Amino acid sequence: MLPRQEWLDEARKLDWELSYVRPEDAFPAVQSGRPWLEHGAWKHWDEPFRTTFGEYVGNQSAKDEAVFAVREALGRLRDYRRLDPVWLNALKLHGATLPLAEFAAVVGNLRAARFGRDSAWRLTATFGALDEFRHTQIPLVLLHELVKLDPQFDWVHRFYHSNNWVAIAARHLFDELLLASDAIEFAIATNFVFETGFTNLQFVGLSALAREVGDKCFERMVASIQTDEARHAQIGRQVLEVVVREDPGYAQHLVDKWFWRSWLVFAIVTGFSMDYFTPLEARRASFKEFMREWVVDQFGRSLADLGLSKPWYWDTFIESLDWYHHMVYASAYTYRSTVWFDFVVPSPEDRAWLRAKYPRSWPDLDPVWERIVERWRAADVGNDFAVHGTAIVAFCDLCQLVLCGGTPKRNTATSLERAGRRYIFCSEPCRRIFEQEPERYASHECLVERVLAGRAPANLIALVQRYFGLTQEDWGKDIARGNYAWLHRQAR
Amino acid sequence: MIPVYAFAAGDTLGLVILLDEDQTMVSVAERLQASASVRVAPRPGLIVLHEGRPVDPYATVASLGVRPLDRIDLVEGDGR
Repeated sequence: MLPRQEWLDEARKLDWELSYVRPEDAFPAVQSGRPWLEHGAWKHWDEPFRTTFGEYVGNQSAKDEAVFAVREALGRLRDYRRLDPVWLNALKLHGATLPLAEFAAVVGNLRAARFGRDSAWRLTATFGALDEFRHTQIPLVLLHELVKLDPQFDWVHRFYHSNNWVAIAARHLFDELLLASDAIEFAIATNFVFETGFTNLQFVGLSALAREVGDKCFERMVASIQTDEARHAQIGRQVLEVVVREDPGYAQHLVDKWFWRSWLVFAIVTGFSMDYFTPLEARRASFKEFMREWVVDQFGRSLADLGLSKPWYWDTFIESLDWYHHMVYASAYTYRSTVWFDFVVPSPEDRAWLRAKYPRSWPDLDPVWERIVERWRAADVGNDFAVHGTAIVAFCDLCQLVLCGGTPKRNTATSLERAGRRYIFCSEPCRRIFEQEPERYASHECLVERVLAGRAPANLIALVQRYFGLTQEDWGKDIARGNYAWLHRQAR
Repeated sequence: MIPVYAFAAGDTLGLVILLDEDQTMVSVAERLQASASVRVAPRPGLIVLHEGRPVDPYATVASLGVRPLDRIDLVEGDGR
C-alpha cells in the first residue's frame, strides 16, 4: 500500500482540462464568485490540515464518541439542575441562534464543494459541509433533553421557524451569509471573517466559561465543534490570498462588510453570555477583554499578514466594544417577553464588576439599571409587566436589530431616503453596507414596517403571542421575578 | 397619527411613537418620556430636536411639517 504522502496530492488535486464545456460555464461567476480567474490562478490552492476522507471519518467518529461519553456521564437533567439557572440562558441563546444556522452553512459549504475553483478547496468544503451537519445535530440532541427541564429550550429548534424579531435579524444575516453567497464570498465571509474572526470567541471563550461554571457537557460540545471549525476555517485564508492578489479592493470590501455584520450578532450572543449570564464568581475576563484578545489582536494580525487594512469603521467598532452589547441587554431586559430566554438584573456586585471592566461606559449605563431597580422596588414580586416597555421598538433596516448604536447620550441611528422610501440604520457601517448593495436589501421590511402596514399586530401582547409565537409559559421573564434579596423590599 | 423614530436622552434604544398633528412639542416630549420611563426617569428641562434641529416647544407636529418616520430627539442642554 502506498504511504500517505505518495497518494495524497493525487487524490486532493483532481482538476483536469475541460473539453466539453468552457470553464466559465462549468464554474459560472454567479455560483463560483468573482473575480473569475482561469484555474491557473487557483492551482496552488492548499490548506494546512490536508485531511483524507479516511482520516476525517475516523477523527469525527472518535470526537462524537467523546462528546456522547461526556453526555452519558454529565449531561443528564440532574446535572443541569445543579447549574446556576442564570447560566442556562446562555445555552438557550446559543442553542437557538447557532445550531440551525450551522445547518444553513451546510448549503454554503456544498456550493463551495461544487463551485470552488480548485479540487482541494472543493474537498475541504465537502468536509466542511459534513462538519456543519454535526454542528447542527449534536447541540439539537444534547439540548433537547433540557426541554423537560424548561420549555424555553424548545426554541432551540423552533427559533428559525418563527417571526420572532431576533429570528428575523438572524435570518437576514445568515440567509445572505450562508445561503445566498457565491463560493468566494462564502469563503471570505464565513470561513475567514465569521469562523476565524468570531467563532473562536464563541466556542473557545464560552467553552472556558462553561468549565468555570461546571457545565462539562456544554464545554466538551463546543470544544469539539471548534476543532472542526479550526480546520474548515482554513479555506477562507487560502481563498482570500488569491482575491487580495487579483482584486484587493473587492477583498477589502467583503472583509469590511462581513466583519461588521458578524460583530453585531456576536456582541449579543456572546456578549450577553459572558457579561450577564455567567455567574460573577466564574467570570475570568469581560466580553471586551475576550474581544480584545481573540478578535482585535488576532484577527487584526491576520488582516495585516494578508496586506489588508483594518475596516474603515475600525474606530467605531473599538468604541462599540464598551457600549453595544450593554445597550442591547438593557433594552432587551425591558422587552424580555419578546424573546425565549430569561434575563437577570445585575446585582450590586455585578454592577461594581461591570463598572471596573467598563469604566468609560458604565457610568452612563448604570442609571438605566438604577431606574429598573427602582421600578422593581415599587412593583409586586412576579409582576413582570410593571417593569417592561410597551412602546414600539425601532429596528435597523440593515441588521434588523434594535436601534442601540452609540451611547445613551448619543444614539448613532442614521436615516436615508431612496426611491421614495425612508430607511433607518443603527449605525454608519450598517448604512454604508446598505448603500453599497441597495438592490440586495431594499425590499426587506423591518418589523416596524410590518406593524405599520398591518401585517403584524401593534399591541405588544398580540405581537408576542400571534406574531413571535411565544406563550406565557415560554416568553422571557425576570429570572427572579423581581424578588432579589439585594432589593431589600419593604413588606407591604 | 404620524409614526416617528424617537430617542430620549439617557435611553439605550430608539422607539417608534405615534403623534397627533395638533400635538405640541411639549406634549411630544412627555409622550416620549413616558414611553422610555421604564429605563429613564422623566425629568424637566429637556429640549426637542426635529431632524436634528431644536424646535419651539409650543410648535405643533403639523406646523413643523413632521413627516412619517422623521426623527425626534429629546436632549439635554441647548440641543447643539
